[in-house]
Amino acid sequence: MTSLSRALRAGTMLAAIAVTLGSAHADTTLTVWDWKSGDPTTQPYYEAVKKDFEAAHPGVTVKYVMQPHDQYYTLLGTAISAGQGPDVVLVHGGSQTKERTAALLKLDDKIADIKGRIAGWDEFTGADGGAYAVPISIQGFAVYYNKDLWQKAGLDPAKAPQNWAELKDICAKLKASGTTCFALGNKEGFGADFFLSAVAANGWTKAQQDAWTKGDLKWSSPEVKAIVEAWVETNKDGWYAEGANSTAKFMDEYESFERGENANTIGLISDVAHWKEFDEFLGADKVGVYVMPPVAGGDGSLKLPLAGGIGYGVTAFSPNKDLAVELAKSFADTPHMQIFFESAGAIPADTKVDTSKVESPSAKMILGWLADGVPLAHNNMATAETEEWHRQSQLLFTGETTVDKALARMDEVQAQAKKK
Amino acid sequence: MSASTSPVLPRAPRRRLLGDDPGRLGLLFVVPALALVIVFRIVPLIWGFGTSLTDYDGMSAARFVGIANYAALTRDPVFLDSIVNMLILLATLPVWIGLPMLLAILIHQGVPGGKLFRAVYFFPAVLSSVIVGAIFNMLLRYDGSFNAMLKALGFSAVDWLGNSSTALFSLIAVQLWATFGMSLLIFLAGLSTVPSDMLEAAKLDGAGLFGTWWHIVIPSIRPIIEFAAVVTTIGMLTSMFGLIYVLTAGGPGTSTTLPEFLIWLEQGRMNRPGYASAISMVLFALMAGLAFIQIRIMSRNASL
Amino acid sequence: MAAVEIRQKRALTLIALPMVLLALSCVYPVFFTINAALKTRKGFVLDRFGLASDPTLANFAQAWNQSRLSEYFTNSVVVTIGAVLTLLVVSSLAGYALAVLRFRGAKIVFTIILVSLMIPVQVVLVPFYRTMIALDLVNSRAGLVIAYTAFFLPFSVYLMTAFYARLPRELFEAAQIDGAGLVQVWWHIMLPMGKPALITLGILNTLYCWNDVLISLLVLQDERTLMVGIAALRGEYTTNVPLLAAGIVLAAAPIVIIYVIFQRQIVSGIAVGAVKG
Repeated sequence: MTSLSRALRAGTMLAAIAVTLGSAHADTTLTVWDWKSGDPTTQPYYEAVKKDFEAAHPGVTVKYVMQPHDQYYTLLGTAISAGQGPDVVLVHGGSQTKERTAALLKLDDKIADIKGRIAGWDEFTGADGGAYAVPISIQGFAVYYNKDLWQKAGLDPAKAPQNWAELKDICAKLKASGTTCFALGNKEGFGADFFLSAVAANGWTKAQQDAWTKGDLKWSSPEVKAIVEAWVETNKDGWYAEGANSTAKFMDEYESFERGENANTIGLISDVAHWKEFDEFLGADKVGVYVMPPVAGGDGSLKLPLAGGIGYGVTAFSPNKDLAVELAKSFADTPHMQIFFESAGAIPADTKVDTSKVESPSAKMILGWLADGVPLAHNNMATAETEEWHRQSQLLFTGETTVDKALARMDEVQAQAKKK
Repeated sequence: MSASTSPVLPRAPRRRLLGDDPGRLGLLFVVPALALVIVFRIVPLIWGFGTSLTDYDGMSAARFVGIANYAALTRDPVFLDSIVNMLILLATLPVWIGLPMLLAILIHQGVPGGKLFRAVYFFPAVLSSVIVGAIFNMLLRYDGSFNAMLKALGFSAVDWLGNSSTALFSLIAVQLWATFGMSLLIFLAGLSTVPSDMLEAAKLDGAGLFGTWWHIVIPSIRPIIEFAAVVTTIGMLTSMFGLIYVLTAGGPGTSTTLPEFLIWLEQGRMNRPGYASAISMVLFALMAGLAFIQIRIMSRNASL
Repeated sequence: MAAVEIRQKRALTLIALPMVLLALSCVYPVFFTINAALKTRKGFVLDRFGLASDPTLANFAQAWNQSRLSEYFTNSVVVTIGAVLTLLVVSSLAGYALAVLRFRGAKIVFTIILVSLMIPVQVVLVPFYRTMIALDLVNSRAGLVIAYTAFFLPFSVYLMTAFYARLPRELFEAAQIDGAGLVQVWWHIMLPMGKPALITLGILNTLYCWNDVLISLLVLQDERTLMVGIAALRGEYTTNVPLLAAGIVLAAAPIVIIYVIFQRQIVSGIAVGAVKG
């Protein structure tokens, strides 16, 4: 009997606890979803945006919700289909934005004042030509190299390759000196993405890049085939260490470069795998940077492949759209972008950011290339196409497929994804 | 709502009111469980089935497309590969059951250091798949310690996670290692119901160790074996995402892409909830079929 | 008889050897995690397996602040305790009803529970989230308690049913002859007899709730649980392993401490249930 009443009391208490645990809401709260705000290197940037925005809009609270990146788009999809969730969302430029424009607010009539100052809009532009997010970073692929290892192989660290033949020669010399030429991680297929974009950048014409985006430039066309063949050939020629398929590009590949296990790596210019990080490990004077030459085609000029990196969009279901748009734009304010650049080392989307204080030689070179870039080919692939390329690129390495078979499959996926 | 959080605890004075009829009281006792399960699992399942018949993209209104998604599945090489991988995974089920059962019996029969083993075997289960993945990533990579050991023993190095022929088995082995502690615990609980005087009697009869196991221990924990088989099968098919994500990302090619991982890919990155639901329904049907067979094969002494 | 026993002892000792190896493999990750947590990121990249030469606690401090562990800790504790207790009571009642009382329709109920066990989380994600919104359970800890109970219940009910089905029916019948009501039978017989299974379920469900990321991400979007905070320590690309390891040590510590403190009770609890006769 007593034990029963004890159980009863426990049960009632449990229910009472459960009932009182609900949460309360403040006046107006703008909820921002991202996968970066908790990172120590980006924290000063996020804090500045929040502080300034709340000061300018009394009664408004900015709340950052940092989601784990692996579940980000699953959660976003859930929120979108339920029509309830964040007001402002961080999105990747390219297909992740373009395939979600129906859930985002079109910003065209609200961004006239910042349009000229910010770069990288293309990646956040939907099929209807409207802008759906404000870019905050620029993504680009540059090849970083370890000058010490070049010297050891008898190469001149001041002489970057100008064409494919020179690059092949460099890799042959490095190999002869016992050094792996390129760091490569292709566990997720990212290594193949980077290779494709870097090699295509200066080999394809503007018209070809556009055709690629539309799905008119087929995988089996000579321009693309040359790159896929080069992917297989460079592997056969021993450019990479064994085990690329089990090496994560982030960060296994870059860590092996930082340990000095290989001489070159295709890196980024945003806030990871970039000059700042390599400088820290190898010494700023030991890190060099060049633009990947094309395997074929091009006019001999080498321009950095560039695109809008990540940006802030406003959800179509936000109850406070006007405020949310203000906030999204505030992320791209010049003073805020300045902090983003200085604390995280990310090349900002804002062209007005003062970068004159940078001392790193490689950062200086990259900044010099920004004015005149070429498209990032893999950014303009449909998601289904990207996923299949990840798989095929791995099978090309294990020898389970041939170039022709892989291209036939890619053609199929491309046609399905781009033409519908 | 409060009825579901605070379970129906019958009050003593009302005992007569509730009656002592096993039929009525039994029903009353399962109501909280049943209500929760129906509202949060069965209804969403039916909802998901509805979604699988549409071209829903999570944004625009869903359009009914009949069995188009299912038809597309039969032509999707990635999905077909994932099913093959799943069958390979399922073929390893006896190991997933046999190993923890063997260890549990040994501990139960008083292997030296049994108490220590019981505590230690549980460690991997406490660690999250992220750290397990990070560790095995480093052990199994081409220049990792496992290959270094093989080379020292005179074998040649293998790219365990980068070869289609070894990646899936490496993944399975790691997941088995990471979860056997849980099954071990379940078997230990089950073994506690084996009457100890039966074991004594067997010893008196001079039965050997294995004889005792085969004739007494194993038959008497049959419901637990059945339970473990069903639960392990489900776990194999639905909780390997974390490890796949960290260890292989589904590759090389499709060699470690399991339906569960594909659902995540289609639902999240590819943003095709309709198609993802169709895969989910196939996975659900396969699991239900398997569990049904398993329960059928085992002689049911649960007498339900 | 003695000869048999000696032979068995010898066999068991031999078998213990591979078991020791397996045990070592289970201890190693714990060592690795703690060791990694004591390194700087740079130190870890340069030497992943060696002993931390210059141990630092900075990762623990950073993990604590960055994932706001102090705030999230309470959430995890409250939700886990709430959900595990609810799970134990609800599943023991249901197991008792299904395995012992055998009311009409028990078979159908058991089938429904079994079916629900087989529903992959991913398939119900969107509908589940909408149901939670409809019932106004999003962003409340009570909502998460209910969600956890609903998700881990089929497993718990199934185990309790399988376990109770193993108990000799005479126990139940003898109690009834003594005039005990069905409720008292549950309280005085089924709960104590079910101790091994209940303890096992308690451990497993505590782990499931404590380690869960996905359900918690959906339900508690304003406040967070500990594991979500830890999961967010993995950046988009960079996995700062020392930082993550420090976070995992912090998050797993309460579980391990509880396990160590209560290990004797847990072990004896599992053993006490052994049926004599």
